[in-house]
Amino acid sequence: MHLLAIDWFLLIEKAILILLIVTVCLVTAMYATWGERKVAAIIQDRRGPNRAGPFGLFQPLADGLKLFMKEEIIPNASVKFLFVLGPGIAMVTALMTSAVIPWGGTIHIFGRDIALQIADINVGILFVFAIVSMGVYGIMIGGWASNNKFSLLAAIRGASQMISYELPMGLALISLLMVTGSVRLGVFVDQQVNGVWNVVYQPLGFFIFFICALAECNRTPFDLPEAENELNFGYHQEYSSMKLGFYLFAEYINMFISGVVMSTLYFGGYDIPFVNEAAFGDVWWIGALEFLALMAKGLIFVFIFMWIRWTIPRFRYDQLMDLGWKKLVPLALLNMLITAVVVLWRN
Amino acid sequence: MSEIPVTHILFVSTALFFIGMYGLFTRRNMITMLMAIELILNSVNINFVVFNKYLYPEKLDGLFFTIFIITIAAAEAAVAIAIIINLYRSHHSIDVEDATEMKY
Amino acid sequence: MSASQIIFYLISAFILGCGILAMTTRKIFRSAIWLLFSLVGVAALYFWMQVEFIAAVQIVVYVGGIVVLIIFSIFLTQQSGKEMPKPPLGRNIAAVLAVLFGFALTFLLINKYGFTDQGKAFDWSVNKIGTQMLNTGEQGFALPFEVVSILLLAAMVGCIVIAMRSKPEEK
Repeated sequence: MHLLAIDWFLLIEKAILILLIVTVCLVTAMYATWGERKVAAIIQDRRGPNRAGPFGLFQPLADGLKLFMKEEIIPNASVKFLFVLGPGIAMVTALMTSAVIPWGGTIHIFGRDIALQIADINVGILFVFAIVSMGVYGIMIGGWASNNKFSLLAAIRGASQMISYELPMGLALISLLMVTGSVRLGVFVDQQVNGVWNVVYQPLGFFIFFICALAECNRTPFDLPEAENELNFGYHQEYSSMKLGFYLFAEYINMFISGVVMSTLYFGGYDIPFVNEAAFGDVWWIGALEFLALMAKGLIFVFIFMWIRWTIPRFRYDQLMDLGWKKLVPLALLNMLITAVVVLWRN
Repeated sequence: MSEIPVTHILFVSTALFFIGMYGLFTRRNMITMLMAIELILNSVNINFVVFNKYLYPEKLDGLFFTIFIITIAAAEAAVAIAIIINLYRSHHSIDVEDATEMKY
Repeated sequence: MSASQIIFYLISAFILGCGILAMTTRKIFRSAIWLLFSLVGVAALYFWMQVEFIAAVQIVVYVGGIVVLIIFSIFLTQQSGKEMPKPPLGRNIAAVLAVLFGFALTFLLINKYGFTDQGKAFDWSVNKIGTQMLNTGEQGFALPFEVVSILLLAAMVGCIVIAMRSKPEEK
């Protein structure tokens, strides 16, 4: 029996790791909704949620409970199978990227070396890019299955926006690849832990990547698919109950994950700034600290996303396309050219 | 990995090819015909990778063919969709049997 | 049966099942979604064969690009809830027969030739692919690479020209 010839400890270890990371993502996304409302309140000089628990900390739980208790409506005119599939795909694609992110260094515990990364596949960054490009399906399927013209318009907007902004994102990644010379995310982080953060080499690339991440997450100023004054409510207009919750939740998970991806690619990953981790030797808590450092970096990005949302108004649709195709793509190409010249010259 | 005979993977790609052929024969909607062509191209890609991996493992030519086919498939899909949209504008239908001006 | 074998047969069943559904369902959007699943299955097959690079390219280009384009054109040209007409019975029978005969012929050919595994490890890496792709030497693929890039440019310009709405002549 070959089935039994698997390293069972590896299987258990990975299973625990997957559970842990998914839980972390979900809890962070849950409290990101609370954070969003608090940030909005601070920026608009209000108090924000403060009734449920201390500082309104139980508000996300109450919101979740409310979404569960609501009546679940599947419109008669909708396509039922696709209507249910849409939110599921949105959620899965949001969570899948977390599989290749190195969440921390190697922990030496119970006599085993446990890498805090679910899968260090040798095409890591391509995998991230592939999953990002699949994120558009949640919106498209949901918009079509609702059989509502507003949803359909929103889906068309969302799809064209995501395709347009994938392009400069890919170009920015290519120039980053030239600097690093590898496609493994583990190598990315190792180089940054031992050297300088990539943002120093690629400030323009990071800037482009950041704008594209905003657009891919459908955040303001790029939240055209959800422009409520033009489209009622956007692509998830016909959804109710937990299916709507899935869509809203997937957005926050996307935000958090893209923050973590940006930290991994440009801001040193789990590197603790100004500290030489190797000097502490082989102790288990340094892994935990590294994990916390990555979380902190990701959360800073989430905060910046929220800050932008409550400060900058929404683009018009033609302005959005202009920015994507006429400004970001040439800028990314220029960045690529300069990077290539510098890399060649230094070799 | 070697427990699966190479022929079994080839059977899968052959079956995929003929499923695509069936779609191409029966469908008359341009978009679905395009989908059938995508399936056919995919089965060819599988074949290239399999031959490269199992029969000529010291070379990489099969992988290059696959990459080029994928690239050309992307270009082909883009052109096809431009044509489809143009056809829809002039005929309000993308059924290939409705576009008969050039037939007689 | 080992785990690897079971996974292979599951993936194949998934690819073929989704492919058949994509080619037989009469709702066009559903057809596109089944095609999407089938292509993801093909990417899974590449992962199973441990050519992760091709798998990633497959997902980025096919799943993230081509199927999105197809769905986009469905959005622009079709109505939700409308079914496509059934193919005429005669054509259907003829198509099934032709396909079955073709499959049988190829099946026999493959069976007769009986390709066997060379048993050597397949050694690829992204570095190797990149170096050979841009090599101008004997084994290099620099010329096809350039030709494909020109082809892509031509396709891009051609698409814009075809789909561009001509400006109205008079004011």
